[in-house]
Amino acid sequence: MAAGLVAAAIAGCRVNRPPNDHAAAQTLYDATVSDPGTFNPLLVTDAASGGAIGDLFESLARLNPRTTLFEPGLAASWEFSDGGKTLTFHLRRGVKWSDGAPFTARDVLFTMRVIYDPKIPNSSVSAMLIDGQPIAVSAPDDYTVVARLPRTFAPILSSLQFSILPAHALEAAYAAGRFNRVWGIDTPPDRLVALGPFLMTRYVPAQLLAYRRNPNFWMRDGHGGRLPRLKGETHLIVPDQNAQYLQFKSGMTDVYGPRPEEVWPLEQAARRLNITVRKVGIDTGSLFFAFNRNPRHYVRRGVTDPRYKWFTDVNFMRALAHAVDKRGMIDLCYRGLAVPAVSDVSPENKIYHNPNLKDYAYDLKLAARILDQAGYRMIRPGVRGDPRGNPLVFNLTTNAGVPVRNQMCAIFKQDLQKLGITVNYRPLDFITLVKALESSFDWDCVLIGFTGGIEPNDASDFLRSSGNLHIWNPAQVKPATAWEAQIDHLMDAGTMALDPYQRAPYYWQIQQILHDQLPIIETVRAVTYVAYRNTLENYNPTVWGLYRPEWIEFRAE
Amino acid sequence: MNARAAIAPAAARNPVNGARRGWRAALRDEWRMASLTVKLSALLLLLFYLFAAASPVIAPYNPARQWRELPDCAPMRPHLAPPSEWRRGFIYAFPMRLDNPLARHYVEDHSRRTFVRFFDRGHLFTTAPGAPPFFLMGSEGLGRDLFSRIVYGARVSMCIGLVGVAISFSLGIMVGAFSGMAGGLTDSAIMRVCEIEMSLPSFYFLLALAAVIPSGLGTTATFFMIVAIMAFISWAGFARVIRGMAASVRSAPYVEAARALGGSRRRLLFRHIIPAVMGFAAVSASLSIPGYILGESALSLLGLGIQEPAASWGNLLSQAMDPQTIAYFPWVLAPGLFISATVMAFNFLGDHLRDRFDPANSG
Repeated sequence: MAAGLVAAAIAGCRVNRPPNDHAAAQTLYDATVSDPGTFNPLLVTDAASGGAIGDLFESLARLNPRTTLFEPGLAASWEFSDGGKTLTFHLRRGVKWSDGAPFTARDVLFTMRVIYDPKIPNSSVSAMLIDGQPIAVSAPDDYTVVARLPRTFAPILSSLQFSILPAHALEAAYAAGRFNRVWGIDTPPDRLVALGPFLMTRYVPAQLLAYRRNPNFWMRDGHGGRLPRLKGETHLIVPDQNAQYLQFKSGMTDVYGPRPEEVWPLEQAARRLNITVRKVGIDTGSLFFAFNRNPRHYVRRGVTDPRYKWFTDVNFMRALAHAVDKRGMIDLCYRGLAVPAVSDVSPENKIYHNPNLKDYAYDLKLAARILDQAGYRMIRPGVRGDPRGNPLVFNLTTNAGVPVRNQMCAIFKQDLQKLGITVNYRPLDFITLVKALESSFDWDCVLIGFTGGIEPNDASDFLRSSGNLHIWNPAQVKPATAWEAQIDHLMDAGTMALDPYQRAPYYWQIQQILHDQLPIIETVRAVTYVAYRNTLENYNPTVWGLYRPEWIEFRAE
Repeated sequence: MNARAAIAPAAARNPVNGARRGWRAALRDEWRMASLTVKLSALLLLLFYLFAAASPVIAPYNPARQWRELPDCAPMRPHLAPPSEWRRGFIYAFPMRLDNPLARHYVEDHSRRTFVRFFDRGHLFTTAPGAPPFFLMGSEGLGRDLFSRIVYGARVSMCIGLVGVAISFSLGIMVGAFSGMAGGLTDSAIMRVCEIEMSLPSFYFLLALAAVIPSGLGTTATFFMIVAIMAFISWAGFARVIRGMAASVRSAPYVEAARALGGSRRRLLFRHIIPAVMGFAAVSASLSIPGYILGESALSLLGLGIQEPAASWGNLLSQAMDPQTIAYFPWVLAPGLFISATVMAFNFLGDHLRDRFDPANSG
């Protein structure tokens, strides 16, 4: 009764929207989940900081999310020579930093020097070491940069996707050893020397980040018109997704990425709210159950835990793969707005996704038969044991506070229960979970997601046996298994050819190996949606990012 | 338990009733004198404890069973069968069919009927093994029967208070009474320890402790860890009050007399001081039970309490966290109603007990 009243009150709620001035001011409002941690582009490690300064800085080449090819950015053109071992960039002339200083090759060299400095902890450096060797750069003149690679390295443009820093503004601080402390979030926004499409004007912690158009931005549209077309942007900082949803509905923000359960109500209200709800595509990341194969976790005082044997037994893993009810997960956790995932590379990555993998069908009878044949028989009603008679029991975890993952774990646990396998499920808060995965290695099975990119070599830290994100057995001195050695070899081979279509077969083979050996069991990929005001023009989201964001504008009313 | 043992003699000695009588008669008198609210509260709590004690019988289904084709299904309307169908059953419902998976919109399938069977296969009511389920209070996001989960959840939510109170109050009474009787340096030392404990920010302390529970523990073990943590946080405040009462009783003539007659410390403590504070303890216990229920709800709401697939009223309610869910599936709020009803019942009962047994009112 009371529940009904509350529901009626919420459902019947019509917010009287004050007419907002976003269109008149040509200012786009959106929401972000958390405060930035730094404004220093090289020190960024979190998405919030990346989002806060993403429009302030530029890199040499820009990625076109529609073609997934690189297009000129701060470099107007480039060419390979010497069999792919030399790359010459011709920098764009007339580009100015926000303090009036010209952008030159000096800025590029300075940025590279900072990245390679071992005292500066940054995430760009790992992609820029080729077989452990740095790239040698030189500048014959102010507008030419020559990069010499130790060997042919196909992902080089992707590796050089770092933000260029203003040498004239930061060189003194760097020389004084203060680089790690410059451009913290306490820096007044107008002191950030930038050259991107927008400049930051205001940062109010826990409230908003405001930007204005960079009047000197180098890009022009086809008719010589100035870009970006928007006069400003504002990111509201709203930690709660429910609040973000309500703010979008009430007109406080102009774009919103709805969760699966919000898609239908938004579609129903599209006409009234004057919004468009559009499907963007399949999630580019990967969400999977990983099983710990790290001997450091299992061997205690010379005794090996039986779980080590199970998780390295391909028959055991095949049975588990057949017990993942992907259809159920899609319907229950994503309202049907997801697709089964077969490979760790998203099908949106058209060239590098291997379309020939055959999924393990959800079939508990088959799973039980595989287990029986491999010697994992029922030892008492409802309890299955391994060939030595140990009951099959293991721990499952994921990060706490994510309802979808919680539900997926509950589904998996229930199905394994039917097979006679007991799963102790307990989610952990994110920090504790990361500690378990990266340093204590004290975990059995985890449901975890990784983000994905277009360049397959970016997953190097995950795929290579020596990688720190090689989650099932990280940072191996030498490959523990033959197939891990083969993946290492294929990762090397994949960077040798320059043509994507020549590279693709190597990565397809890696996906096939993971699919056969099953150190991880893929689950599902969400189909992502976006909702935006109909007054917005040229708003073209893709799974890889906005297409031509500089062209976005509000229609004149 | 202690509490009941204390209530009975106190009631029997009550001046209103006059002579000393058996506890049954005393209980009957108490019942006659209680207001309607108190009677209803007592009955409600009895019912919920019955849920906890007999959950496999009262719950129609296994609380972990997932009907994956029926997520977030609305409560089903029971229909009375016409007399011609009485040999199949008296009550039936129409099975539900997921009409729009995106909206989770259901339609009743009028071509078929699911008969509810009473006293079948050890359940109070259920449906035939292969038949579609009958969701009395709807289903939650994974298609599990909400009513069955609430009934099983009562085990956690109704017991957490009793177990917690048992731990914190036995500790509190022992420490408080001992400290009050001993006096002097011992008393000061113990009380300072209690104050340090009380100054810990309890909820954050709880969060930190809940995070270190080892992951291999089963549901029952986790449950007892949580109760123990909550009890160890709350005993100190109670011990301080008991200590004050004990200190004042210490110099009462009858205690002085017992001491003069050569009564040992232990005898003074157990025969004179603890019985004197028992009445207060019983009242205070009933008033502190809701705190445990709410505490568990808060922890479960944050994902640190009882974990899937085990149910507690707190973790069931955590699904009702977003406005979207409440707007479209309001029945997920049902566990909240059970929590509020229990907390109110305990408060009414505690108020009543205080009015009856507080020495200040016994005039």
